[in-house]
Amino acid sequence: MTVGPVAFMVLAAVLFCIGLFGALSKKSAVAVLMCIELMTNAVNLNLIAVSRFVTPDSLAGQFTAAFIMVVAAAEIGLGLALVLALYHARRTVELDRLDRLKG
Amino acid sequence: MAWVLLIPLLPALTFAVMAPMSRRARTTWRWLPLAAMSVSLVLSLLAFARVWPGGSQTPTFHATTVLARLGGVPLSVGIQLDPVSVMMLLVVTIVGVCVQVYSLGYMHRDERQGWYFAVLALFSAAMLLLVLADDFLLLYMSWEVMGLCSYLLIGFWHEQEAPRLAAIKAFLTTRVGDVGFAIGLAVMWASARTFDFSVVLHGFPFGTAIATMIALGLLFGAMGKSAQVPLHVWLPDAMAGPTPASALIHAATMVAAGVYLVARSLPIFEQAAPWVLEAVLVIGILTALTGGVLALVQYDIKKILAYSTISQLGYMFIVLGAGAEGAALFHLMTHAFFKSLLFLGAGVIIHATHTQDIREMGGLRRAMPWTTATFLVGALALSGVYPFSGFWSKDDILTTLWTSGHLVAFWFALGVAALTAFYMTRLCVRVFGDNACSLAREGHNEMLAPMALLAAITAVVGFSSQTFAHFLLGETQAPLNLTIALTGTAFALGGIALGVWVYLFHGVDTDRLKVRVPYVYAALQHKLYFDLVYDRVFVGGFRSLSAWLAGFDRTVIDGAVNGAAQLWSATATTLWRGDVTLIDGAVNGVGALVRGAGARAREIETGRLQTYQRLALAVLLLLLVLSVVLLRGA
Repeated sequence: MTVGPVAFMVLAAVLFCIGLFGALSKKSAVAVLMCIELMTNAVNLNLIAVSRFVTPDSLAGQFTAAFIMVVAAAEIGLGLALVLALYHARRTVELDRLDRLKG
Repeated sequence: MAWVLLIPLLPALTFAVMAPMSRRARTTWRWLPLAAMSVSLVLSLLAFARVWPGGSQTPTFHATTVLARLGGVPLSVGIQLDPVSVMMLLVVTIVGVCVQVYSLGYMHRDERQGWYFAVLALFSAAMLLLVLADDFLLLYMSWEVMGLCSYLLIGFWHEQEAPRLAAIKAFLTTRVGDVGFAIGLAVMWASARTFDFSVVLHGFPFGTAIATMIALGLLFGAMGKSAQVPLHVWLPDAMAGPTPASALIHAATMVAAGVYLVARSLPIFEQAAPWVLEAVLVIGILTALTGGVLALVQYDIKKILAYSTISQLGYMFIVLGAGAEGAALFHLMTHAFFKSLLFLGAGVIIHATHTQDIREMGGLRRAMPWTTATFLVGALALSGVYPFSGFWSKDDILTTLWTSGHLVAFWFALGVAALTAFYMTRLCVRVFGDNACSLAREGHNEMLAPMALLAAITAVVGFSSQTFAHFLLGETQAPLNLTIALTGTAFALGGIALGVWVYLFHGVDTDRLKVRVPYVYAALQHKLYFDLVYDRVFVGGFRSLSAWLAGFDRTVIDGAVNGAAQLWSATATTLWRGDVTLIDGAVNGVGALVRGAGARAREIETGRLQTYQRLALAVLLLLLVLSVVLLRGA
């Protein structure tokens, strides 16, 4: 049995949905960051799969994925720093309790 | 000679200066009216010197000013100085100065004495202006100011009930007369278009009917001011005021103003129907008799003197009714001196004994020799005993009545003379006689000195009778008619003898007399029922009329006003309801709507990031679905 592009795309979609669900429903800010990471990885998987199966001669997808990983690493660094600062200020990272914008 | 104007102006200025002062400052400056009156006295003497030897009706000094123009007709007032004015000026200033000096002693313990002195000054100013007036308008104005001062001085001790009521009574009673005066003046203006003496008193052709109306009006005013029957009721009550004020106002000057008015306007009376002068005569006789008879039964020393004043004013009216103003004015002058002397004496006695009831006095001749002597001079003058002034003026009146043929009046006048002598004897015996031991002390010097001066004047002024007649009117008076003089003296001495017999030697038991003729005594005791009738008819009538009017006011007028108010109130309530429900409802409704919408809207603003994200996702999905559906449709 060969693994076709559809399987990759289904896997990417499942990953994205898990990430999206987690980002929208997790209490902890750290968990939300992790879920965002999951969603970017789902995108990366898609990019690589499409690049591999649709344009096998070009490595544009792979490069873009690598680029995104770098950006994601930087983003997670910044995100964790924000979470730390948030913890310093509010002694919590639970998103439910960060509701100062409530009208 | 414009300085004549200063004579009334100085006391008036004194009042203007003292009126706004504080009570304490007025007390400090209480000698100021005396100073002003003294200057007025000196000026009056100067004026007298200018007018001397008189005998002419044309004024020595005359100045007028136009107050206003009524329809082109000038309304002017002014002052004039003729023998009559000068004589009155001297009387007023001399008595005024005496009373001012006396009051310094009499009032020195009173807290509000400053006001008393100020009003006394205003009164003097008004009286002086009255006698200087060259027209009826200014005379009327001064007349009313005097009435006001009289009111203020009678009610001076207004903490007590009696002075207050007496002041109101005096003011209202004289006001009744003043209405007549005003009507007379209105008729005069309508007919002559002027008030000037120089026109109306010097042969202005009024015609008999008009002249009668004017004369009756003036007579009515004079009756009010001079306390003639039936308007005499206020004068005895006016004795509730301070005694020196009574001496000046209610004995010497103001009450004589009516006599002065009639004497001045006698030319109008002569133009009027003959019965007007006869009415003056009859009123005079009635007044003289009423005053004399009522003085018999009084026990209040001041009221005896007040009734005697009424009686003497009636005397003056009798002779005015005979058309002889000279005799009336002469009696006015002598009466002013001896009656103010008597009042001042009564003041000293009241001060010393702390009572006005002659039954509680007696034996004062030992304790108060000076008062006794001066008072007796006044009493003898009033009784008409030679050589005191009253004898001369009374003789003048009797002679005039006899020679002009008013024989009934002559005998009445003689009878009143005897009556006067009798009640004055009663008064003197009760006060100075008897042997009751008295602890009273003689009065202060500032009280005795004016009395001594007045007594001296009273003693000698009578001899000027001839000169006086010539000075005043240029008439040459007939020499003393010995028969009439002796008759008058006999009646006076008869009255005195009877009084001495009854009261000193107790020849008649007066208490049994009261029981013997109870009706007479009761009638006299009730002042011949004048007050009672006035109280029932006028006061009672006014009371019930005002009660009826008050009822009308309450039911009809108040009803209409309250009804209107209730209507407005009901309308306003309805409008208020509409306002609250409709207008406020709309406004509040909009507010509530916005508020409710806001409350709903804020429910989605939870402040949680993830909620917003979910929302964004939902919208994104919706848009995707829409775009797919729409694109497929396209």
